[in-house]
Amino acid sequence: MEIFRNMRRRKMRSSLTILGIVIGVLALTTMGALSEHLNSLVDGGVKYFGSSIQVTTPAGQSTPLLPMSAQKQIAARPGVVAVYPHYSFEAKPGTNGGASFGAPDTIIAADPGELSHGDLRLSVASGTFVASGSHGQVLLGSVIAKDLGAQVGSVVQLPQRPADAKPGFVSHPFTVAGILATTQTAPDNFGYITQPDGQMLLRDSLPPALQGSVDVTTVAQSFTAYTTPGASLAQLDTMAADISSHVPGVSATKPSVTVAQFQSFSATFTEITVGAAILALVIGGLSVINTMVMTVSERVREIGLRKAIGARTGHILREYLREALAIGVIGGIVGWLLGFGLTSLINSASGVSGGLFLVTPRLTAIAIGFAAGLATVAGVLPAIRAARMDPVRALRTTG
Amino acid sequence: MATIELRNITKQYRQAGNVINALDDVSLTIDGGEFLSIVGRSGSGKTTLLDICGLLMRPTSGQVFIDGADAASLPERRRAELRGRAIGFVFQEYNLIPTLDVLGNVMLPLRYSGGDRRDGRDRAMGLLQAVGMSDRVGHRPDQLSGGQQQRVAIARSLIQRPALLLADEPTGAVDTQTAAELLDMLRGLSREDGVTVAIVTHDLDLAASTDRTVRLQDGRVVEDSAGVRVAAA
Repeated sequence: MEIFRNMRRRKMRSSLTILGIVIGVLALTTMGALSEHLNSLVDGGVKYFGSSIQVTTPAGQSTPLLPMSAQKQIAARPGVVAVYPHYSFEAKPGTNGGASFGAPDTIIAADPGELSHGDLRLSVASGTFVASGSHGQVLLGSVIAKDLGAQVGSVVQLPQRPADAKPGFVSHPFTVAGILATTQTAPDNFGYITQPDGQMLLRDSLPPALQGSVDVTTVAQSFTAYTTPGASLAQLDTMAADISSHVPGVSATKPSVTVAQFQSFSATFTEITVGAAILALVIGGLSVINTMVMTVSERVREIGLRKAIGARTGHILREYLREALAIGVIGGIVGWLLGFGLTSLINSASGVSGGLFLVTPRLTAIAIGFAAGLATVAGVLPAIRAARMDPVRALRTTG
Repeated sequence: MATIELRNITKQYRQAGNVINALDDVSLTIDGGEFLSIVGRSGSGKTTLLDICGLLMRPTSGQVFIDGADAASLPERRRAELRGRAIGFVFQEYNLIPTLDVLGNVMLPLRYSGGDRRDGRDRAMGLLQAVGMSDRVGHRPDQLSGGQQQRVAIARSLIQRPALLLADEPTGAVDTQTAAELLDMLRGLSREDGVTVAIVTHDLDLAASTDRTVRLQDGRVVEDSAGVRVAAA
């Protein structure tokens, strides 16, 4: 309580100092929340693409379809334990899937068995996974479910009919079998359907002239290959090179290339966050140093008195560090609350699917801990000055 | 009770390149339970003497014995502990902490000595009753008169049951009647509780009412009513 009474002795100065910390932490929280959202997306991408091999058509091939026969050839390559065909479609064609910070709302057709492979594991928050080989069922990510206003058991039309739908546009009713737990990464925006339903949507997407001539059960848009858990990127790269060179008509992307692209993308945002932190350091730190120097100067006689009645250097040091810490903690909490409020407001007002900002427990701890640590460090020099004060001189100080 | 013995204490300051002797080879013994005053003109060294007795300042040379133990050479941490445990201070300017109430000010030394807070609170209340301030425990210093603040300061100086109480012009900022009451209080501490009380003062009337007067001049003891002490003029 004495700390707060001391802060109230110079209300304006204490308030301005805390405001400096608040601004710094506000900047740190908002920029950090942007970065956290991006990092979570990147983490998910790194987990998925860093534990699987994406096999597509070679560059320059006019038709982006692979023969289903390639699945067996890929599966026969050394180290490959499972291969799944993939089909993906825009869930909201013509609108870029709606504004999204991460992946657009997408329909993914894959075998449910694939979910047991790779490092990115999904769990169902409500309902169940889609049964393998079933028709007319969809498992929705948490964000796309919200976008579609869907609940378990409700029926959604996929793909969603755009306002400017072309003649012949087809969508199908899908019953929501389950909704995934939030992952803060791409699957939040995905609707998972079975392979047969994916082939149905593929047929719908083909030009009318081809719809009757292409057997969609014999083609896939891409394959995803898996090896045993725990394989390194280098091992996956070797396997990708092996697939590309030994399976005709396919191109396997080295996972390390994809992972590097993800990581370089997030590096810029991390730099922005660090920049915000440095800004907070400069503004808040100087502000706290100034306040604590003034505080010590004003309380010289008090310090002398405390030393005269038995306070040791450590006692005085702790008292002033606690005061600096209190400034940091108050500024940190207020700054974080403002940052949390601002990012929540923007998330709900922007209409961006999945929001722009993600305030995580880690970011909360960093923001408040950073403010507390910064203020304490900034208070060290003034506190040392106070603690080392000669009691006789201090007591004789006038004013 | 505490016996203080100063042996050949010299304290020098450097000021603008000159060496100034604030105390010059002072030897003095204050017996336990004594009630004495230290007088002298401004600059005579009496406050410096009090600061050295109270372990707030180290002498340039000489030794300070408290109950026979050499205190001058103790490390600062031990000196601070000894100050907190055995020595009480009363200052002319009261030096109460403005953000603490009366009770908080009186109990402040316990924060640094680690004394029992509950016992300390009871003792603080008893001391505030003794100095006539028990009805002001929740007041802040700026809500008290000068005399009331000095009573609180005296109560604070006694919270650790010190053997030695050092008062620097304790009545310098209060009216005559309050000064007399404070002096009676300090005398009572000496006579009834056996506390060694040393008062630095300009006030010769106050000095005359103590049991022993030591007069300083130019950093030397020139008169000591306890015995024949005459310094060379």
